[in-house]
Amino acid sequence: MSLLILAVLVLGIGAGFFLPADISALIDSASSYMLLVLLFSVGIDMGLNKEVFIRIRELGFRILLIPFGVVVGSLFGGFLTALLTHMPVKEGLAISAGLGWYSLSGILITEAGNPVAGTVAFLSNVFREMLTFIVVPFLAGHVNYYCAIAPAGATAMDTTLGIISKNTNATIAVLSFVSGVICTLLVPILVPIFL
Amino acid sequence: MWDIFLVVGIGFFIGYKGLIKEKGIRLNSKLQTVWLMLLIFCMGVSIGRNGEIVKNLPLLGGKAVLFAILTALFSTVVVYLLSVLFLEKEGRK
Repeated sequence: MSLLILAVLVLGIGAGFFLPADISALIDSASSYMLLVLLFSVGIDMGLNKEVFIRIRELGFRILLIPFGVVVGSLFGGFLTALLTHMPVKEGLAISAGLGWYSLSGILITEAGNPVAGTVAFLSNVFREMLTFIVVPFLAGHVNYYCAIAPAGATAMDTTLGIISKNTNATIAVLSFVSGVICTLLVPILVPIFL
Repeated sequence: MWDIFLVVGIGFFIGYKGLIKEKGIRLNSKLQTVWLMLLIFCMGVSIGRNGEIVKNLPLLGGKAVLFAILTALFSTVVVYLLSVLFLEKEGRK
């Protein structure tokens, strides 16, 4: 599955690079509709599993543990990367606070007057999303289902929800969505704190 | 963001109310893989057509890859520890 995804992604990058601009622009704009179709399909899956919500109610506040872990882990990863690449720690924290939401974090940091860090934020969060597609099947199969939500960060509610749902179960898909929503709400709050 | 809530909500309602039958459910599961692949392809196109990103890839890509790996890795480690402590049995296969 991961190899297929990687192949499709590379094929897409190649197509984007070589196709005439108007065709690639059309495909690019189609992606937001594709996302909605995928999420509609995931929504049906969620609704079919009625017992899921009983289990989520049982989890109660513990449902917040996943987004909490995602944020703490991401910021620590950003802190460490900043140290390793001799970058200001605050810059590293701001980049990692993007939690995979590349469009927003890149723009926020660029507009704050740091286009270089903005570009790194954009790229790193794109890479984080790619990496998520690759590692989710492994984490779900060999570690545990909760861990499959972790690398996704804010994308756990949209772009990577499909692959998480595909590799885990309906309960985890709902948890993933909730975690993604919480992370998404935190990105515009966290990134400016570190700027 | 609201369109996301809307489509998930509509899909959820259809599933919850049992508006699709056994055959439709199986078809939906198969189509999900198709949508996912199409989405990944589109994502690739949007990266590939952005000259700025492609041009900047070698320059800033190394740093960005390290950020991506370490943030994803430590998120996973922290969530793993929390899940072992507080959630473990729910997430087992």
